[in-house]
Amino acid sequence: MSQLDPDHLNAQRLAGIAPAATAPAQPLDPQTGDGTLIDTPGVRPPLVLNNRGIGDITSIVAGYAENAPPKWWLPAFLTAFGIAQLGGAMILYLVITGIGTWGLNNQVDWAWDITNFVFWIGIGHAGTLISAILCLLKQKWRTAVNRAAEAMTIFAVICAATFPGIHIGRQWMAWFLPPIPNSNAIWSNFRSPLLWDVFAVSTYGTVSALFWFMGMVPDFATLRDRADARLRRNPEGPIVLPFLPVRTDQLRAYIYGFLALGWRMSGRHWHRYEAAYLILAGISTPLVLSVHSIVSFDFATSVMPGWHTTIFPPYFVAGAIFGGFAMVLLLLIPCRELFANMKDIITLRHIDNMAKILLATGMMVGFAYSMEFFIAWYGGNKNELFAFVNRATGPYWWAYWTMITCNVLSPQLFWSKKMRTNVVAVWIVALLVTIGMWFERFVIIVTSLHRAFLPGEYHMFHPTLVDIGIFVGSFGTFMTLFLLFLRFLPVFPIAELKAVLPQASPHHHDDDHGKGNGHGHGHSTNTHGKHAAGGH
Amino acid sequence: MSLLFPKWTNVLPTVFAVAALGGAATAIGGFWYYATPKFWRVGYMPTQPGGGFSHQIHVGKLGMDCRYCHTNVEKSYEANIPNVSTCYGCHSDGKLAKLNSTPSHKEKTQFIRDAYSKDASIDWIRVHKVPDYVHNFPHHVHVNAGISCYSCHGRIDTMPIVHHVESLSMSWCLDCHRAPENHVVPKDKIYDLAFVQEELKARREGSPMTPAATAVLDAIQKAPPENCGACHY
Repeated sequence: MSQLDPDHLNAQRLAGIAPAATAPAQPLDPQTGDGTLIDTPGVRPPLVLNNRGIGDITSIVAGYAENAPPKWWLPAFLTAFGIAQLGGAMILYLVITGIGTWGLNNQVDWAWDITNFVFWIGIGHAGTLISAILCLLKQKWRTAVNRAAEAMTIFAVICAATFPGIHIGRQWMAWFLPPIPNSNAIWSNFRSPLLWDVFAVSTYGTVSALFWFMGMVPDFATLRDRADARLRRNPEGPIVLPFLPVRTDQLRAYIYGFLALGWRMSGRHWHRYEAAYLILAGISTPLVLSVHSIVSFDFATSVMPGWHTTIFPPYFVAGAIFGGFAMVLLLLIPCRELFANMKDIITLRHIDNMAKILLATGMMVGFAYSMEFFIAWYGGNKNELFAFVNRATGPYWWAYWTMITCNVLSPQLFWSKKMRTNVVAVWIVALLVTIGMWFERFVIIVTSLHRAFLPGEYHMFHPTLVDIGIFVGSFGTFMTLFLLFLRFLPVFPIAELKAVLPQASPHHHDDDHGKGNGHGHGHSTNTHGKHAAGGH
Repeated sequence: MSLLFPKWTNVLPTVFAVAALGGAATAIGGFWYYATPKFWRVGYMPTQPGGGFSHQIHVGKLGMDCRYCHTNVEKSYEANIPNVSTCYGCHSDGKLAKLNSTPSHKEKTQFIRDAYSKDASIDWIRVHKVPDYVHNFPHHVHVNAGISCYSCHGRIDTMPIVHHVESLSMSWCLDCHRAPENHVVPKDKIYDLAFVQEELKARREGSPMTPAATAVLDAIQKAPPENCGACHY
């Protein structure tokens, strides 16, 4: 009979499976929510709650990958995987049958395909912003969300990259996208933003994946060492499957060990790691701005009224960050509820911060929407003005007003702190924003195309089942990958999380310090100074 | 941890890196060499009915003009394949002295007379074919612009059985469209393949274009079309 390992036991206890040894309860100031919503500038609010120790962090994070998954995980995974398969089958049907299976017509020759592409590629931007820009700006709260956001970025880029690949009609000629010398002497058109897109998206995907993977290397090493240590203490641990006599921990040790690339937690390793992290953050920072700028050039460099606008690059970037943070919230709020102890790491303050970003970027896209209208009028171009009036009052008026309601009106709730810290409200707004951002791209693409210059060319776009199936399927792919991430990979950066623990910045302690104030270990230099003056 | 992966695994990254680089180089090199028309079109020599029409005998030895059989090459998109009656014009009973004197010759050309008497056609197998999205390569345009048969078909007059000489890939088309001076010849020399071969070879080796060739180049304004619509319309 196998005996549970001490650290496994601790992980189970922290996961709520085994009874807790001690309940680290502290009375909280109701004004501060879960103890993190402190507005006093002199107090540094804690980033990890419940007095978690350094070992607890390891056990919590490693526990997500080591413990049996929550009961909902397998059904959720199978559902997502089934939907992904449906999308895959639809793509196969599209490849076999042709682009005519989509609802495209002579006038609307880009519709859901490019809408979905821009939608997904935009979603990725929150991950890059969190990992790169917030890292350079030393926003410590990013450590709780960066890993999941980076994972989401990569999964979103994967979903996005599908669409340009399949929309070309002859998918087997997709290798013409990059400039490859060939016996047809066909060379990419370097003046076309569609080619810039190929470079922008592939660079983005590569750098994001490197960033994500490199950040996980020390955590893989932790998972490897824990598995290996358990195995040594108890070689009779559980096996993978009843008929597969391989010890789970052995498999873990080898797989995580392979991914850890020989990481030994040495000081030199950490030194290199920090340097490389900073370099990657530096490389990624321009990508946050460049990728969606270039995506916007696909439209802005054309002469279509409604597309030919100089405001597009900044407007698209703001929209991408907006949509990306909505997706982060959409995913992490349920995770926070469903996984044990995740609320200690993703606190209300994180939600509050991200809601503020939603509000700010939502205002930016709102400004861009109104500016487009203003310039359409001010510029005096009849076609341009018609394109915009047609957006708001033409046959696709419902899409336009869905976009305005979701993207401009719904984030206005976040002027209220009560709303920003109400996870249900934040989740609903995040959902609305996700819907709104999809509609934004739909509005830009389809309503601009469907009534272009000549009335004789007016056409409506009607999605077919294949359109819908591939779009829904991309959500299935995204969720499948994200659920696998939650199950098997380190969901938080363990070391970085430890660095932002209150314990990581020790201060002088006197007996009554912090007692009952709910601020955890948030110390300010101010009070510190007072203590010092008080006769230490 | 040190026991998890034995020491010999340290060479694995190097092995994988070398294998990956070698594999990539092999894949690229293989593709480069094998997956182009240069490899899989050049040298194509199907077995023709009746053992094939020998251009070597008819053109090289007997000195027939290309246009005797390919009658429409100057007027049509197609350099037409002659019908059986063109063959029968010579290979009918009693026409050629050789037909009666040499039994093997009679035997070899019997399929022509058989086809003629049955009012059937001979199913020659097509050797040169451009894809259908290269709308009918216009033979008349090229021939009238001073491009010899030799430029695309090689020394047909030396081939006992016709085979594919050039790749006919798009980049090969463009090579000439972008540098027609490497191929135009005076119009009276277009069907003189031996002459054209020598002339173009000399030109490649640096001798200047003859005034007659320059005049042809000037006539086409030195500018064969390079736009997509010229061929793909």
